[in-house]
Amino acid sequence: MEYVLHVLAMFCLYSILATSFNLLVGFGGLFALSQAALYALGAYATAIGAGTLGLPFPIPLIMSVVVAAVMSALIAIPALRVSGHYLVVVSLALQIIVLQVALNWKGLTGGTDGISGIPQYTFFGIRIDTPGSFLVVAAIAAVACFWVCRRLTRSPFGRALRAMRENEAAAQAVGKNILYMKVTVFAVSAGLAAVAGSLFARYFTYVGADSFTIDETIYILAMVILGGAGNLWGSILGAAILVILPEALKFAPLPVDIADKLRLIAYGLVLMVILRFRPEGLLPEPRGKKAMFVPVDAEGGKGDAEALFEGGAGEPGSVTLEGRALKKTFGGITAISDFSIELKKGRITGLLGPNGAGKTTAFNLLTGFLRPTAGEIRLHGKAIGAKKPHELVGAGVARSFQDLRLFTKMTVIENVVVALPRQSGDSLASVFLRPLKVREEERANAARAMEILRFVELDKKAHETAEDLSYAEEKLLVVARLLATGAEVLLFDEPMSGLDQTTLQEIFPVIRKLAANGKTVCIIEHNLDVIKELCDTVYFLDEGRAMATGTPEALMNDPELAARYFK
Amino acid sequence: MDLLLQLFVNGVINGAHYALLGVGFGLIFATTRIVHFAYGPVFTFAAYVAWGVSGGLGLPIWLGLIAAIACAVGLGLLSYLALYRPLEVNRAPPLAPLIASLGLYIVLENLVGILFGTGVRVVDLDYGIYFLGPVFFTSIHLWQVGSFVILAGGLALFLRRTRYGKAILAMTDDPDMARIIGIDTFKITLLVFAIGSMLSAVPATLILLKDGASTHMGFAAVFMGFVAVIVGGVGSLRGAAAGGMLLGLVESLGLWQIPTEWQQSIAFVVLYAMILIRPEGLFSMARR
Amino acid sequence: MKRRSVMSWLAAGALTLGGLSAAPHAARAADAPNDPEVFRFGAILAMSGKADWYGKVMSQAVLQAVEEINAAGGIDGIPMEAIIEDHKSGVAKEGVSAMTRLINIHGVQAVLTSFSPPTLAIAPIADEKGILLLNGGGVSAALIGASKHLFHNRSLAADLGAAAAAHARDLGLEKMAQIAWKSDAGESIVNAVDPMWKDGGGSIGATEYMEVGAANIDTQVAKIRASKPDWVALWLFSPDPGLALKRLREFGVKAPIIGIEYNQDIQSVAGKYSEGYEYTSDYFTPSDDWAKSFAAGYEERYGEAPEFYAANYYEDVYVLAEAIKRARAKGGDYWKGDKLSAEIKANPTFKSVYGGEMTYQDNGVAKKRVALFKVEGGESQFVKYISRD
Repeated sequence: MEYVLHVLAMFCLYSILATSFNLLVGFGGLFALSQAALYALGAYATAIGAGTLGLPFPIPLIMSVVVAAVMSALIAIPALRVSGHYLVVVSLALQIIVLQVALNWKGLTGGTDGISGIPQYTFFGIRIDTPGSFLVVAAIAAVACFWVCRRLTRSPFGRALRAMRENEAAAQAVGKNILYMKVTVFAVSAGLAAVAGSLFARYFTYVGADSFTIDETIYILAMVILGGAGNLWGSILGAAILVILPEALKFAPLPVDIADKLRLIAYGLVLMVILRFRPEGLLPEPRGKKAMFVPVDAEGGKGDAEALFEGGAGEPGSVTLEGRALKKTFGGITAISDFSIELKKGRITGLLGPNGAGKTTAFNLLTGFLRPTAGEIRLHGKAIGAKKPHELVGAGVARSFQDLRLFTKMTVIENVVVALPRQSGDSLASVFLRPLKVREEERANAARAMEILRFVELDKKAHETAEDLSYAEEKLLVVARLLATGAEVLLFDEPMSGLDQTTLQEIFPVIRKLAANGKTVCIIEHNLDVIKELCDTVYFLDEGRAMATGTPEALMNDPELAARYFK
Repeated sequence: MDLLLQLFVNGVINGAHYALLGVGFGLIFATTRIVHFAYGPVFTFAAYVAWGVSGGLGLPIWLGLIAAIACAVGLGLLSYLALYRPLEVNRAPPLAPLIASLGLYIVLENLVGILFGTGVRVVDLDYGIYFLGPVFFTSIHLWQVGSFVILAGGLALFLRRTRYGKAILAMTDDPDMARIIGIDTFKITLLVFAIGSMLSAVPATLILLKDGASTHMGFAAVFMGFVAVIVGGVGSLRGAAAGGMLLGLVESLGLWQIPTEWQQSIAFVVLYAMILIRPEGLFSMARR
Repeated sequence: MKRRSVMSWLAAGALTLGGLSAAPHAARAADAPNDPEVFRFGAILAMSGKADWYGKVMSQAVLQAVEEINAAGGIDGIPMEAIIEDHKSGVAKEGVSAMTRLINIHGVQAVLTSFSPPTLAIAPIADEKGILLLNGGGVSAALIGASKHLFHNRSLAADLGAAAAAHARDLGLEKMAQIAWKSDAGESIVNAVDPMWKDGGGSIGATEYMEVGAANIDTQVAKIRASKPDWVALWLFSPDPGLALKRLREFGVKAPIIGIEYNQDIQSVAGKYSEGYEYTSDYFTPSDDWAKSFAAGYEERYGEAPEFYAANYYEDVYVLAEAIKRARAKGGDYWKGDKLSAEIKANPTFKSVYGGEMTYQDNGVAKKRVALFKVEGGESQFVKYISRD
């Protein structure tokens, strides 16, 4: 029956929209409420390409994808500067502007009349003019789009995307290029939504602004949330429910003037109830062993993680990373001034000082998370002041965070794998163009990650979710993740705080071994015992400047410091 | 020139309207970090209740206003207690309240349609019309500006002078710290939802008198309030007020040369420019 | 043109006469009619969304007409049934969903439609499946010829605007300022009136657009006032002419205001400011018996007086019934949209609830009398018919 076929065709369209939106919202954590506008761009581009200009397939489709992807990258630009609530507002504004342009640019879009008479598809002489034949086309497109989403999410790129969702700074700190990921995921999501838009134009042969209002975005959002953010099958399920259910409800004998309002109220309630009682949606994000893209047996293989623990060539004691006369002010407040530091290969350097002394600011400067107001930072003698955090990780400088910033909704092993260096699968082009290489690397990386976990004795917990770990285990995972970057300069922000003596005794040798292997290690620490135990050199900071520098013993015996701080 | 003067006055009037919405929405947002989208339909509900009392039952408009305020405060508290609070208790991710709020938005907006019917609702009220040289305004317009000055001024005094006000400010600065120093954040949140919702009922009633009420009026209300907050700087009520005023002025003066069909877009161009040039807003809260 | 319409009148008369006397014979002579149990037809209206007021009045009128026809024994003993569907105030996709449902589940052969986007989107389906489409709502230029089975019993919005402008010219007014809905209907009027007004030597002081549905129009009104017009044109539909009237008068605009619609909603929004407002519209006043019984029945059922949207959809149901009757007289598989459409084309004259008859022109639009009204003492007064070229 054609009506059923029509409903199924609509389901195909919405499953494309929901899965593509899920990439953005569920995987990327980018809450942009403009999916309907991108859908509209796709529809209009095809309407103009196929209708007004009379171009043959597939040129209009390509136009749709390109136009939407470019526009979406434009939203990504403010989205790079802002996130969370700002992105909501910016994307809502974009949604409204796109529709207003569609309504006002009469020459191109037909204004409020829209564009009608768009030619239907004709393939091999067969005109796709019935719901049944269109369903075949729509299903092929839906499967293709799903395949793209699936490939993308089950790749190192997709994992990095989820890491970014969990914590943007931490993703940068393991070497992920946030700019690239955001722009790419915005563009891909928009491109896929535009495919749905293009299909819309061909099926309805009419495109007008009324079909792409903000309500449409919320409708698609409801599918994603209901099905489960971060689960592609969930979006398919969500689309199926929210397309078919309202159609079924139309058979219920409701007064016609309030039937639609009741249906909308039902959507609203679904959103609220699902968030209240099952926030992960009907199909939660895959966890545990299912989160891995390669068979678990790959983890048992012999990896070459040892190499990651090595510090690389160079004379022990030679300066690797140095900051000279660093200064950082926020507004009128000076956080750090005239601070110079040298970190040496094979040595452990400590940063000591009271709260608010500027230790974390110093870390942020050295790792590219903040730009110094004045002063210079050099790595192996080369100025690196302009590099971004992920570039510094690539160059060999990595850090951890005082507040851990684990990727809490990912498994333990994922937290480590995501940090491994030089993954060609971080690039979306490789994911699609060199799938075999990516897969081979992935198998090797699974093995390396397991080795690192064995090193910190977390291998038994490899497939548990990071948020389920104990505090001590979380700290160990932070170390593992930092090690996985393979960086030669490792900056630990309070790695030991809150740990009991036994655990400390387990971690000390790990850090010592790293230094012995030729790594440059720097730690922020409050605990004098830890400093004494580990550090070769200590910088004592207060009020944004280095009050003293020397061996732990020398500092602690300094009468002035002792009087002021070590009573 | 006359036109420009008139547009300026229109801008101030609309600006006052947006500013009040910005302050109301912003108070809730800054204190609780909840993007209370349902602020829009609460606004609509208030307008319809005012209509029901003053238009339907024919009672004086001040009774309508009181009923509107009571309704808005009730709905505001209910949305927190029944929706946002359980999410907070569940430790839901930060965007969950926002999505849930969209759900509540849809529910309330359609409920208005079912309860009150659709179509534009007006209250027939004789009000003064004034001309100041070439510039025209009505007493409703004066009330729009006046209510903003009175309510925003009153709120500022309340926040600075009273114990509860100071507690709200403390929570705005740092909710965790507020809790540590012994502020009952639950109570303060309820207070903030009550005040913020109350602030929506006044412009809602005035819009009912000026343009009439329609079931879809809430979107513009919450959205302009939200934009005012972002333009003004998150966390700063002074910023929200200034942001709203700026939006009103730009929107009105901008149309001096730009055709009116672009009316909706102007405010968003301001928003874009602001986010690109000065993402922290006009008045940013001092951050670490 | 003139000759053509005279001819069609003659033809219509002949057919009507012939039909009256020959119907029983024709039925016997041709194949026996293949009757359905019920004549089920659809109506895709704005039942929800921003403009659901239209859906309400249109559906009410449709249901009233069906009830009346069935109470009188249906069409040759066969009852009618209306299935009301919703396009959510003009969403194309919803229109198509509704259309496929109507065709596939309810097996309708005729659909009453409204609003441009859904009508444009269902037009190809109507062509493909041979479904009769009757539109009684606003007619924008884009709808003309969208489907070969599409007929409109409302004047083109642009024609109403042109009539309003013609009246302004008669008054000797020179400088026009206009405020139009940002919609297909509003824009199609601006597009039609602008060149006409300029060709006639008039000037245009300001052209302003507003969103559909009680928006803040202070800025638009300020710009209109600043252009110091001789008259202000309202290319708006209910209830927004009310708001525009109120705001224009409040702002001290004293120039004549001429629009294209007036009804209770507009009156309640405009209040006292509607005084002196002139508008051109399809002339629906309950004048003859049929119109009076329609109005009385409508008021009894729904507690309010019908206005012309209700009248149009009421009329559309009767047009459909008449077309069915004519087709049935020919027998065979007559219950087919394209056959009904062919019947309307063959004899495009139908009884009109507006009084007298109406005739569909070649472009599918029924020509109705356009009249000028003036609001005096809160009541709308008929002034005169406006002659059109």
